Amino acid sequence: MFITNDCLVSYHEAEKIMVIQKVGAVLDRIGLESVRSSPLSVLFILFSVVVIFFASQFPSGDGVGPSFFPIAVSVGIIFFAAIDVLTGSDTELEMSEFDFGPAAVVAAFLVGYVLLMPALGFLVSTMLFMPVVLYYSDIRSKLLVVALSIGFPVALFYIFGRIFLVRLPEGIIPVSRLLPQLPLVVTF
Amino acid sequence: MVVEYISQALVNLADPFVLLLMIGGIFLGILMGSIPGMTATMTIAVLLSFTFTMEPSQGMILLLGIYGGAVYAGSIPAILIRTPGTPSAAATIFDGYPLSQKGEAGRAIRVSTIASFVGGVISVFALMFFSPVIADAALRFRSPEFFALAFFGLTIIASVSGDSLTKGMVSGLLGMLVATVGIDPVTGFHRFTFDIPELLTGVEFIAVMIGLFGIAEGLRKYSQGINSGNDRVDQEISGVFPSLSDLRSIAPVSVGSGVLGSFIGAIPGAGGDIAAFITYNEATRWLKDSIPSFGEGNVRGVAAAESGNNASTGGALIPTLTLGIPGDSVSAILIGALLVHDVNPGPGLYQEEPVLLYTIFVGFLLIYVFILIFGLLGANYWARLINIPKSHIWPVILVLCVIGAIALRGNVFDAWIMLGAGVLGYAMRLRGYPLAPMVLGLILAPIAEENLRRSLVLSGGSPSIFLTSPIALVIILLGLGAIALPAVRSIRA
Repeated sequence: MFITNDCLVSYHEAEKIMVIQKVGAVLDRIGLESVRSSPLSVLFILFSVVVIFFASQFPSGDGVGPSFFPIAVSVGIIFFAAIDVLTGSDTELEMSEFDFGPAAVVAAFLVGYVLLMPALGFLVSTMLFMPVVLYYSDIRSKLLVVALSIGFPVALFYIFGRIFLVRLPEGIIPVSRLLPQLPLVVTF
Repeated sequence: MVVEYISQALVNLADPFVLLLMIGGIFLGILMGSIPGMTATMTIAVLLSFTFTMEPSQGMILLLGIYGGAVYAGSIPAILIRTPGTPSAAATIFDGYPLSQKGEAGRAIRVSTIASFVGGVISVFALMFFSPVIADAALRFRSPEFFALAFFGLTIIASVSGDSLTKGMVSGLLGMLVATVGIDPVTGFHRFTFDIPELLTGVEFIAVMIGLFGIAEGLRKYSQGINSGNDRVDQEISGVFPSLSDLRSIAPVSVGSGVLGSFIGAIPGAGGDIAAFITYNEATRWLKDSIPSFGEGNVRGVAAAESGNNASTGGALIPTLTLGIPGDSVSAILIGALLVHDVNPGPGLYQEEPVLLYTIFVGFLLIYVFILIFGLLGANYWARLINIPKSHIWPVILVLCVIGAIALRGNVFDAWIMLGAGVLGYAMRLRGYPLAPMVLGLILAPIAEENLRRSLVLSGGSPSIFLTSPIALVIILLGLGAIALPAVRSIRA
């Protein structure tokens, strides 16, 4: 029995088909489902590609230049994140216990707080932030809300600004300067 | 020499302000440690900015007080409501909660206090004894060895933290990537600064830590429901001292767990949680025939876990102070606190700041003495702290996160970095990424990069320099092993 050319070709083709099938299977696994099950890993891979693009434009120094380390680290991220996507190890999650709504709302409050800080200063913006978050955290005792919203920022102001001498934003109108100095001279 | 340093340290510690900071730190630590969800790492990250204007030794005493107090107090809710106050108290539940169900919560807390003290003190002695030896050996380290150490630190933490090795590695590498922002130390080139002046000196990594451990945890708590899981404790805890028979039965296991816990704590990346699980497991192996058996309310189980996790605190400081490689996420933040004061943790610290080091050692010892006293006298009050509703505490912590970030440089820009890190950390935690490797990556990246590049300059660009230094080679191989072992194990499974 001898192998004809035809047979050889078909043997190669069979091998090719097998390879294509394998690649297809892998692609299927990386497909939409994996992207959906490991969105962060995919995001990190894309991010690393962008980093490599930027870093590759850095000037080369003597020997290992400034671009080497960021590129090496990014390649590492792509490698490990790709394994994560391929193995789909993202699937076992405790997501059902979580409700993103409240986290998004609190994050939005925080963004507002930091946005207001430069204009209103630390004291006023904290006095605005506290009651909003306290109310959102289901605290209905008016006394508690008022006490925490006024007492806490004022206490922080004295602790940071007067005892530990850490500078905090005063805002356009420095309301905090109206607060009396500490009655006691604290010197250590 | 040592006697001189110790006496100088005692003079530093005799300052009423320092004692006040120490006791205040312990109280804060006990408060936060008693409340589930508030970890030692978070408390230290959030309160770090208070220490900027202090002397380095004063700041360290405050932060170490919080550290010891929180790791100790984590056992209280573990015993009373079956929820660890800090992750390191998870193993305390096994025997602590059954004791509490039998109405013996007080006994469990007293045993836990004694064991925490024993473990903590042993670990501080381990720290005092081993640090000079390691620092001395490390003085001969040059760039290749330091690169190897940084590499090892990253791989081992990725392999021990969390369930997924790949996620741990991604988290650590992301931290390293963030650390490359700013002026390149070798060429002066501006990397990823996008003409933002605040980024020239790099991303303020303490801001990132506050975001990762404060905001991310807060957002997580809000998505679970801010008032969910509020447990009430009504059990009255009376008595102060443990009985003599309890003391006798826990003495050997406390000492053994203290020694073992110190060593585990000293491994970069292995913190109190891992230490406690291992010491508890060893106790069940060695003392098989205990009555009652482990898991059914054996005080020795509580002692093993609590001695183990507190021992990891002093142990974690060994690589932190001698090599500049953090032993866990708390010590990573402590490195940040020292760097703010221009104190560079590493083998040179013994020559540059011996008094600071001995103030830390003696101070940490004193902290454990105070924890013993407060723990025994105040158990009944600490147990009540669990009743504080989370909804009262989180708004306060959110404000402290924002203020803490701004206070770093007096700049609102850092608050944005902090919030960004918080949102990223929240998303990563939901997806099962451990955050501790990221912090390690942030700290280790500059060490790794600088020493890698310096090594290659020394060798004229040839990577063989890492093979010709036997120490570097062994450390790099250990690091590779740390990734390879779990990978092989998971493939087999």
